[in-house]
Formats: sequence, structure tokens, C-alpha cells
Amino acid sequence: MTRNLDLRIHRALDGELDRASLSPEELALVERLDAAAWALSDVPPVPGLAQRVLGIIRRPLESPLERFRRWVTSPHPVTVSLRPVYSVIIAVLLVALLWRSPASGPSLADHEGVAQFVARFPEAHSVAVVGPFNDWRPEATPLSDDDHDGVWDARVILPAGPHEYMFVVDGERWVADPMAGKYVDDGFGRQNAVMEVQPVRSE
Amino acid sequence: MTAGEGPSDAEVIARVLSGDVEAFGALITRYEGGLSRFATRMLGSRDAAADAVAEGLVRAYRHLASCRDPARFRTWLYRIVANRCKSHLARRPVGDVSLDDAPPMAAQELADAQFERTDQLERLERALAMLAPEKREAFVLKHLDGMSYEEMSVVTGERIPTLKMRVHRAREALLAALKESP
Repeated sequence: MTRNLDLRIHRALDGELDRASLSPEELALVERLDAAAWALSDVPPVPGLAQRVLGIIRRPLESPLERFRRWVTSPHPVTVSLRPVYSVIIAVLLVALLWRSPASGPSLADHEGVAQFVARFPEAHSVAVVGPFNDWRPEATPLSDDDHDGVWDARVILPAGPHEYMFVVDGERWVADPMAGKYVDDGFGRQNAVMEVQPVRSE
Repeated sequence: MTAGEGPSDAEVIARVLSGDVEAFGALITRYEGGLSRFATRMLGSRDAAADAVAEGLVRAYRHLASCRDPARFRTWLYRIVANRCKSHLARRPVGDVSLDDAPPMAAQELADAQFERTDQLERLERALAMLAPEKREAFVLKHLDGMSYEEMSVVTGERIPTLKMRVHRAREALLAALKESP
């Protein structure tokens, strides 16, 4: 509990009153406060302070333009405070947005499906797939072999149903897919492979 | 004011203002002990005190030409560092004065003193930290830095009666803290 000290003690501590005039009890309080101040005053200096300050003042002052450039190019913590209700609204909107967004690539209509063309041509420099869906144009639908293992593939969105196709190897060699389960005569003495594309929402 | 031997503050300041940046080091050496003690006790943290003193010294260097009375450089410098301490305190939650990294006492030096780094000292530190900043400032300037009330008035910008009252209240709070000790 704090209580007011006699003014004589304060005056003695301030050097305005001779301590010899104090009673033993008053003198004990004065010495107690002296000792407290002495104990609190024992604080070691900050190591390296002079070097730190001199290091700063030796550097030339930044121009306002330089300070601005440093400010805009250095990271700053940004704190956004939101009421919980707004947090919930934002979360719901994000979920709704993600729900409606396609994961990647174009969206499929109910009557469409994804045709995956895969062929193994280890010596080929290029492979393309042709068929009525791209007017038999070799440049229209190239297959890719990103890991250079000789297996080429491409995915194409096509209307559901049967699709005739051929592979064109190195731009000149037309090859019917040896892995196709079905073939039809092309009317010129050769056979086209046939792929049955399933509608994406068939279930 | 000049602390000990060597050129006076005014002489050193004249050298700095004439372009001798390194001469400012003499002023740092002269006052870093007192400023570190003052800021540590004001902020209760050595790291925060180091920042406040360094900021204050850099600011003092940058504005050295505006020190109207170089002979009273010490109080001018303390005023700058005191303001840096207030800025640090203003950025903290109210009443938050850290004691986690209170400076260690030199045990051997204290062996003969009435206070050791014991419960009593910790009570003192806590009582000092619990004081309002303006009372803590007045007590530290008066009793730890040994300033006169006139010098304290220059540092704080407060009237002497106000400072005396703050020192009185701080003394009473610290004495009460000591009396609570077993």
C-alpha cells in the first residue's frame, strides 16, 4: 500500500535538508531509497552502440526519391481486419466461385466427351491425329511426347459417338491405330481406326 | 556540460559540425552509459532501449546544428532519447513494460550492497515498470541519472513543481514495493 512520505524525507533526498537533522527512522527510509536507486542504476551499456550509430551516420542520407523507391520495393506487413460475418460471406463467395469454375480447359456440353489418342512411335519426330473432326488436316491436332519416351498422346473434345481417325507420323506416313478396337474400310483399300467417344454426362 | 577530461561537448560539437563525423563518436562514448540506463529503465527491455538510444543519437547527429546551447548538450540529447522512448511506449499496449530481459546485475559488485538481484530487486523493477511513464521518467532522471530539477525540466518540458510531485509519488511507490518484500 502506497503512503505519503514525510516531506522532510523528500527534501533530504533532494539535497534540500541536511540528513543529520533526520531521525533514525527517517534516515533509514532515505538510505533505503538511496540503495534502491543505486540497485536500479546498475545497467550495463548496450554493446556495439557506438559502432551501430556511427555506421548509420557515415552513410549519406537517402534522397526522398530513394526512400520512396525503397518503400515501394520492400515488403510490408499488411493487416486486414474483418468482422467475422464478412469473413463468412467472403468464404461462401469463394466456394461458390470455385464450384462454378472449370478446373481447367474448355467446358464440355452434355453431348460431348473426351477422346484420348495414344500411340507408340519411338522413332517419330512428330505425330498427329486426323479424321473427319479436323477435316483430315495433319497440322490441326498434333500429339505430344513431353518425356520423350516414344509414347505420344493428345486429348480432344468431340461429339459423343464413333469417330474414324488415323495417325500421321513425321508428316507423311499415315498409320491406322494398331491398338484401336474397331476399324472401317476407307473406300480406298485401307482401313481407318474407329474410336467410340462417350458423353461426359452419360451416367 | 563536459563529462570528465577531454574536450568539452561544445568543442566536440564544433568539430562535428565542421565535417568531422568521427568526432561524434566521442559524444556517444561520453553519454551512451547514461542513455542506455535511462532507456532500459524506461522501456524495461534492453533491445528496445538499444533501438531508442540508437535512434536518438542518429537524430541528434542529424539535427546537431539546431542544438542552440552546446554547453547543455546533455539535456538536449536526453530530451531526444526520452521522446524516442515515449514513441516506443506509445506503440505498445497500455501498461505493457517488459521485464523479461531486465539487465543482469554484476553479482560480485553487489555483494556488499543492500540489494542483490533477488526478489527485492525484482520487486523494485516491477514497481518501477508499473509506474506511469511520466513518473518513471522523473524518478530515473532524478535518482539514476542524478539530474537537478532544472535539468529535468529542460529534458521533459515540465515545470519543476510537477516534476517534484512525480518524483515523490515514484519514491513512495518504490518504498511500498520494498516494504511488501518478506
